[in-house]
Amino acid sequence: MTYTFKIKDKVFSVEIEKEKDQTVVKINEKDIPVEFEKIDDNLYSIILDGKSLTIGVLKDGKNLQVFMDGDLFEIQAISERDQRKSSQVLSGVQEIKSPMPSRVVKILKEVGDEVVADEGVVVVEAMKMESELKSPIDGRVTNVEVNEGDAVEAGTTLLIVSSE
Amino acid sequence: MFNKILIANRGEIAVRIIRACKELGATTVAVYSDADRRSLHVTLADEAYHIGGSAPSESYLAIDKIIDVAKKSGAQAIHPGFGFLSENEEFAKRCEKEKIVFIGPSAEAIRLMGDKITARKIAQKEKVPLVPGSDGAVTDVEASVIAEKIGYPVMIKASAGGGGKGMRLVRDKNDFESALRMARSEARSSFGDDSVFVEQFVEQPRHVEIQIMADRHGNTLHLFERECSIQRRHQKVIEEAPSSAISEKTRKKMGEVAVRIAKAVKYSGAGTVEFIMDQKENFYFLEMNTRVQVEHPVTEMITGFDIVKWMVRIANGEKLPYKQKDLSINGWAVECRVYAEDPETNFMPSPGHLKYVKAPSGPGIRDDSSIYSGYEVTSYYDPMLSKLVVWAESREAAIDKMASALREYIVLGVKTNIGFLIRVMNNEEFRQGKLDTGFIERHPELLIPGEVDIEPALIAAALAVEDGEETIESDKGFQSNWKLLGRKAGLSGGSLI
Repeated sequence: MTYTFKIKDKVFSVEIEKEKDQTVVKINEKDIPVEFEKIDDNLYSIILDGKSLTIGVLKDGKNLQVFMDGDLFEIQAISERDQRKSSQVLSGVQEIKSPMPSRVVKILKEVGDEVVADEGVVVVEAMKMESELKSPIDGRVTNVEVNEGDAVEAGTTLLIVSSE
Repeated sequence: MFNKILIANRGEIAVRIIRACKELGATTVAVYSDADRRSLHVTLADEAYHIGGSAPSESYLAIDKIIDVAKKSGAQAIHPGFGFLSENEEFAKRCEKEKIVFIGPSAEAIRLMGDKITARKIAQKEKVPLVPGSDGAVTDVEASVIAEKIGYPVMIKASAGGGGKGMRLVRDKNDFESALRMARSEARSSFGDDSVFVEQFVEQPRHVEIQIMADRHGNTLHLFERECSIQRRHQKVIEEAPSSAISEKTRKKMGEVAVRIAKAVKYSGAGTVEFIMDQKENFYFLEMNTRVQVEHPVTEMITGFDIVKWMVRIANGEKLPYKQKDLSINGWAVECRVYAEDPETNFMPSPGHLKYVKAPSGPGIRDDSSIYSGYEVTSYYDPMLSKLVVWAESREAAIDKMASALREYIVLGVKTNIGFLIRVMNNEEFRQGKLDTGFIERHPELLIPGEVDIEPALIAAALAVEDGEETIESDKGFQSNWKLLGRKAGLSGGSLI
């Protein structure tokens, strides 16, 4: 299995391969043989090339806290879906689409406005709940395809943001 | 000796006192709040009584409730520990009235030393060196005049203060007015009294204090000094004994001065006279704490003197068996306070459920704690988890031992300052004894992990995630087997049994 972890802004890829008696961990393309024992629910004894370490891990969904040598490291596990999302984030032209049949409540940006990633651009209402749709990238609004008050189907493009 | 002693406290100090009382042959009585049912002091004591809500005012500060338990259980004496009612004059008086022995000094000594301005006057009378400043509480106008006269930087302090509350350092005349306002409002909300005084700020001050032990027969001893210069937010984090900064001559003089103050208020029991000292060994009286101190273990380690047991014996009327000349310093002791707090966010408390706890051990290592795997750190009380204390033959060896012991400490479930403490132990300035109360502020780099090899953490994270997935899969398997069995039973028209 391959896992992707994020510590602060750094992303690491960790692959675990279990063969007969040997576990090999591949971190960013480097193979490391690992000998480990789980000694308590949240505690591992790990031997790496003769070096003995005791490391605690607490899991809360995707968030992990790893205790090592008196310090606690916050590590985020990223699923493949998250990764796909984040790889799209980088650049290009993004169509902001309605996720479900809804009504456009408010358009927050006009053509030409600059937006940053995670900034709200359109507010839609569905099932009596308003939700703000956000731009996944830094860029500029190039098109606004709907008007406030419009009823739209799922998948309708509402607004286009371009980083180019 | 008392047959039964009530411990009016919680956490590690209650545990420390319970152990001492048991060793002396007394039955121990714990009191506890809603939040503390699972606390170690409750499970360790011989008897335990619930006294109310988790807020201290509803339990550990509720004098009537504690006195009731003492009477009901037949406790002859009460040990107040530190914090809570330990320096409460009314409580000491009430004990006296109810014919229960208060294990501590007289109510009068608490009163005299509790008010910082009165304490200062006593020190003045006893010719104890004092930091230049206002002789008592001042009005806003007086305060700025005095600040001008003694010269900046100045300290504004709450008359009823302690623990750094209501305290402000002012370096610039222009900041004085707002600092004064903030100090007063903090003093009002913390102590219900907004009177403040002003004094000169000692540059690069070290905090050095003398442990006093006095019996009720006029014998007053000092057990040498402790240095507590490593502080965050004016609260001590690392303490040691002796101090690496004072000569034998200063030690003697400081000890004599402390004894003089204690005698002036007819002190009995354990007390601490605190001094602020500049880098040239000029020292000035700060205050006297009329209780056992958090950091008392370092003194015990270098003198072999059990301070808590002697507090009980003295309250029981026993005489100190030593003279000053019989006492000497042996080796070096260091204490680190292990807190559930996050050094990266200005030491913000980090309450939570402790999933796993493993304390260090070995020769010369003492862990005064009240935590265990499964313990809940609540936000009602001080987030101190443990006091890790080590003893070795020299300062250097004690620091090495502490660094090694800290690396053995495992606490899972809350953020702790353990990594920070390890970095302080390895810091060159600290190791050379170049300490002052601004040490932590001067070393923000110690608050966060330095260059670490993160690979082992990633490997552990991957193992834990994989382990979790296997568990989920086997859960599914378990369910589907049942389903399968059910289906089979259904198909065959039979029953599961």
